[in-house]
Amino acid sequence: MQDNDLEYLTIALPKGKLFSLSADLLKKVGYDAENLSEKSRKLVITNEEKKIRFIITKTADVPTYVECGAADIGVIGKDVLLESEKDVYELLDLGFGACHLMMAVPTDRKRAKLSDYAHTRVATKFPHIAEEFFTRQGMQMEYVKLNGSIELGPIVGLSESIVDIVETGTTLKENRLEEIARIMDLTARLIANRVSFQLKFDRIETLVRDLKKIL
Amino acid sequence: MDNIVLKIPYGTRDFLPDEAKEKRFIENKIADLFAKWGYKEVVTPTMEYLDTLMFGANRSDESRLVKFVAKDNRTLALRHEMTTPIARLAAMRFKDSHLPLKLSYISSVYRNAEIQKGRQCEFYQAGVELIGFQSAAADAEVIALAVYGILAAGVKNFKVSIGRVDFVKGIMEQYRILPDIVEKLQQVMEGRNLVEYEKIIDALEISAEGKATLKEIPYLKGDCEVLDRARNMALNEQSRYAIERLVEVYSLLETYGVGEYVSFDLGILRDMNYYTGIVFEAYTAGLGFPLCGGGRYDRLLSDFGRPLPAIGFAIGIERILLAKEREGNLEKNKTTGVYVAYAEGKLKEAIMMANDFRLGGKIVSLALQAETEEQAKLYGDENGFDEVVYLK
Repeated sequence: MQDNDLEYLTIALPKGKLFSLSADLLKKVGYDAENLSEKSRKLVITNEEKKIRFIITKTADVPTYVECGAADIGVIGKDVLLESEKDVYELLDLGFGACHLMMAVPTDRKRAKLSDYAHTRVATKFPHIAEEFFTRQGMQMEYVKLNGSIELGPIVGLSESIVDIVETGTTLKENRLEEIARIMDLTARLIANRVSFQLKFDRIETLVRDLKKIL
Repeated sequence: MDNIVLKIPYGTRDFLPDEAKEKRFIENKIADLFAKWGYKEVVTPTMEYLDTLMFGANRSDESRLVKFVAKDNRTLALRHEMTTPIARLAAMRFKDSHLPLKLSYISSVYRNAEIQKGRQCEFYQAGVELIGFQSAAADAEVIALAVYGILAAGVKNFKVSIGRVDFVKGIMEQYRILPDIVEKLQQVMEGRNLVEYEKIIDALEISAEGKATLKEIPYLKGDCEVLDRARNMALNEQSRYAIERLVEVYSLLETYGVGEYVSFDLGILRDMNYYTGIVFEAYTAGLGFPLCGGGRYDRLLSDFGRPLPAIGFAIGIERILLAKEREGNLEKNKTTGVYVAYAEGKLKEAIMMANDFRLGGKIVSLALQAETEEQAKLYGDENGFDEVVYLK
């Protein structure tokens, strides 16, 4: 793979729930490739005719690939993008993958006010975003960084609360947790490398304009 | 003893002989070029008082500085770029000199930064500052020199984007956008967050045409045709002036013979807060960061008590190294020269021979003890000498 090839546009797509949504959307504007599937064993899938390359990566790595220029553009959830604090262009709100980030606490141990949780422990996958939120509320917290099953935190006594992503709220209910603060709404974003946005500007601009038409 | 691993600080690196040779090659080429254009090299201290470095910087930049405390309890910081120290130098030490001042440097600078390819805490920059003139001639000279600098360093494929920070300011003014909104818009633009940028614009109470114009700014990139589009958007004096100045500078750049490297980007952003007029960056494919960046800063020197316009740029040496490696045109960085080895009792003869070779301009490495001819050949091969002379 010639990584400095100006002819190709390299697109990083995340595995998981955003994959098929992104692939479908890009297909509508003519960006597809044969055998483009999350389960593909090939990590790089190329459409020679249209000069497009897809890289399929772990969700949290998409901003890294794009920031370093290994991919020109990528699709990623706003949550992961914010948490990664990477220097990339955020070009478009793609509208799908809608969910929100919130703070939840065990229903049976709910305290009266948000500020009653100051200086307690909060389990989260997103310590940076969480810290920004609590700082704005004038609260200092202790952050316990977890990589999955965040709801487990309060159940096993690891933390007093959680900050996590919620789509429907079912998982919260099942674990007897209750949302007490909505932090932000999240959707998938189209991001671009800062140099690619210069050197491959015409292609990226066309893609953005085409996507805007169908969003 | 086997298990001892001595680490070096986060974000720093060693240059081994081949790498150091390549770095020196690039620096020498650039230094020669700067000298040829009449720029004089200066050297400033690695550390300065924090207050000095913070002139013209964002408050948020402070966390990127590597700081410590001096004997007198004042806070010191390692220089995070060279423009501010040179502005200080120009304002303090060249008070009575005739203008313009043309100064150059090749220095290490320091930032607390996340480690990525081409992004270290300690890195090397080569650049110039042209102080005292505000003209298009000054803008063009400095941009042309940046192009020649990158070429001299050995990078072949790159592009320089130029824009003006006052164009964006002018456009915002012509739609009478309130200062706090302007600041917000600039903030999200600096964060390259175009989604939020468009959201803020959508919420403004201005004409649909105004909204479309503002949203167009980040997409004003390309060749001269972009300037026509921008001219149609520019309704007030400030934004019009910005465009006319770009046209003027571009025509001079064509005369310098570098027009083919230049394109325009009117939504261009630069990290430093002190820029006032033209700004530019150079990019190469496959490297996620600019090779070079610079621009005009007409207020920084007045902060130091000497109101003078100025413009400059810095080329990132490590980024040039990465770009050359990608292009596959690193210099032949093998050791070349003669290895002089000798049999027992021939040291003095060998010293005289080495002296003669060196006088003749050859690179010579002299053996430090008598060895066999086979040993000499082996050492010579392993270390990349293209000639081995053995004295029997």
